[in-house]
Amino acid sequence: MYWIDGIVQGILLGGLYAQYALGMALMFGVMKIVNVTHGDLVILLALIGISLADLTGLGPWSILATLVPIGAAIGWILQRALLNRVVGDDPLPSLIATFGLSIALQNAMLQIWSADTRSLSGGAIQQASIPVGSLYIGVLPLIVLICATVLTAGMAFLMHYTRFGRALRAASADVEAAAMMGVNPRRVYALATAIAVGILGFAAAFQAMRSTVAPSDGPFQLIYAFEAVIIGGLGSIWGAFTGAMILGISQSIGFRINPGFGILAGHLVFLAVLAVRPQGIFKRKS
Amino acid sequence: MSKYQVIRMTLSGRIAWFIFAVALIGIVSMPWWASQGLIRDVVTLACYIAVAQMWNMLAGYGGLVSVGQQAFVGVAAYAMFVLAQTYGVNPYSAVFISLLAPAALAVPIYYLLHRLEGPYFAIGTWVVAEALRLLATNMPMLNGGAGMSLRVMTQFSVHERAIASSLLAALLLLVTLGGSYLVLRSRYGIAMTAMRDNPAAAASQGVNVHRLRFYLFVAAAVGSGFAGAVYFMAQLRITPPSAFGMNWANLAIFIVMVGGIGSLEGVLIGAVIFFFAERWFGEYGASYLIVLGLMTLACALYFRGGLWGFYSRHFNAPWFPTRRHLVRNKGVVK
Repeated sequence: MYWIDGIVQGILLGGLYAQYALGMALMFGVMKIVNVTHGDLVILLALIGISLADLTGLGPWSILATLVPIGAAIGWILQRALLNRVVGDDPLPSLIATFGLSIALQNAMLQIWSADTRSLSGGAIQQASIPVGSLYIGVLPLIVLICATVLTAGMAFLMHYTRFGRALRAASADVEAAAMMGVNPRRVYALATAIAVGILGFAAAFQAMRSTVAPSDGPFQLIYAFEAVIIGGLGSIWGAFTGAMILGISQSIGFRINPGFGILAGHLVFLAVLAVRPQGIFKRKS
Repeated sequence: MSKYQVIRMTLSGRIAWFIFAVALIGIVSMPWWASQGLIRDVVTLACYIAVAQMWNMLAGYGGLVSVGQQAFVGVAAYAMFVLAQTYGVNPYSAVFISLLAPAALAVPIYYLLHRLEGPYFAIGTWVVAEALRLLATNMPMLNGGAGMSLRVMTQFSVHERAIASSLLAALLLLVTLGGSYLVLRSRYGIAMTAMRDNPAAAASQGVNVHRLRFYLFVAAAVGSGFAGAVYFMAQLRITPPSAFGMNWANLAIFIVMVGGIGSLEGVLIGAVIFFFAERWFGEYGASYLIVLGLMTLACALYFRGGLWGFYSRHFNAPWFPTRRHLVRNKGVVK
């Protein structure tokens, strides 16, 4: 039962990681770039949410509803002002530019919010749980998981069945050919980043409710998102979701073996996948 | 005498070599004229230059952008601490023996990570460094998160330690800067420059891109490890967050991008800027890092060549010339 509980808690944790990973899978799938500020943006949105809650007294769900459009706006601006200049064959500029921005952002957050860890009060729901047999499943983690599943399904639908999704896939396959067919790549890229960071609005609210956030936490969220995306297979939306589950389970089982081993277990599973199946679990070898 | 001749050395290059040699002699002789504080600063600066130059070789020539060089800094430093403190090896021999650790580690890491495309390779190196940090935090042999102290150093007098630190700093600069320079001037340098400009074209000209990248990765690991061993020997203390900290990647990337990627001169300029920024503004909190981060961003977006690129657009006076100029000999009559 101890280990089954570990797996269940891991899947619930994976729900949070899936929300980090979804945006990264989208951005890489479309633009072949990694946004190093990905994790810092989760933290930034979470801290904005916490300060908003303190200032206005809004409840956690209203905060979530506010953070998503704020995230989308940040993503749009980020792409328009910065990333559109560095999309290209050479991965170095986008990586270095966002790396520099990440350092600046982390230290700016440190100046504004100090190094304290903070969290968002979620009310009674934070402690509520549902007994299933001898297991207890937290209501909040369950909501996070359901939300992640809906977001992933929504994203998969968007990619495959909408005009915007077709434009995204066309731009990712061949920018120039897509541009000739009337797709405006810069607009498509900006929308993709807006969606990716908008999803981080969900992740930020849930992260702040489930545990705590501090300005220097961003790199960890970035690494978890990255590991989930690679484990699942680059560019695959459901792959990222599955990767997040595998990462969550690995960490949860690891924590039960030894509290110091949890995060490390996730890294080791990631490296093992890289050694055995570098193209990820979902992607076929090209 | 042939009609053409290849010029490889310039006047500015000769002057720079002379200054470099004088500087090295100055560093070696520090124990007899400099204060403890100055020696410490010079050792720190030498370590920054070495780590940045190794990153410069990787990213600037190999096209291998890593944000996890702290993995090698930390592994070598910890290997040195364990050898000297736990097993009683002479600390100065331990510095050199410990270089085997980053070399041995770089091989499997490269084979795991080279499958990842550009930016994903970078984050992959970060994961490795994080995994090693956590591993060090959980190892009782390394005293876990509390870290280790190099108490065996008390067997040497302050003056003896100063001599050793100065010698190690000079050697570190000689190996990383001088070594890079010699490699860049050799036929491997031509291959690396070709690879930097276009890997596919370089491969079609007979450059074994894969093998060259592998060598570069291992060499950079050893160079960074050397810097780590020297740095933490001077610190006398090591903890997992300091040894495997992101700060190493931050400083390497800042130094190279602001100084000028793909040049030795840029590394020197960037390292001096970083060192003094840290020294002067560090006491006012972390806000100087906001500026350094934004400078890195600005260089990646607008000044790809950094400060050195700006300089060399206006002056043709490289300090470490690696180019070959073909000159027609005037005196030769056909």
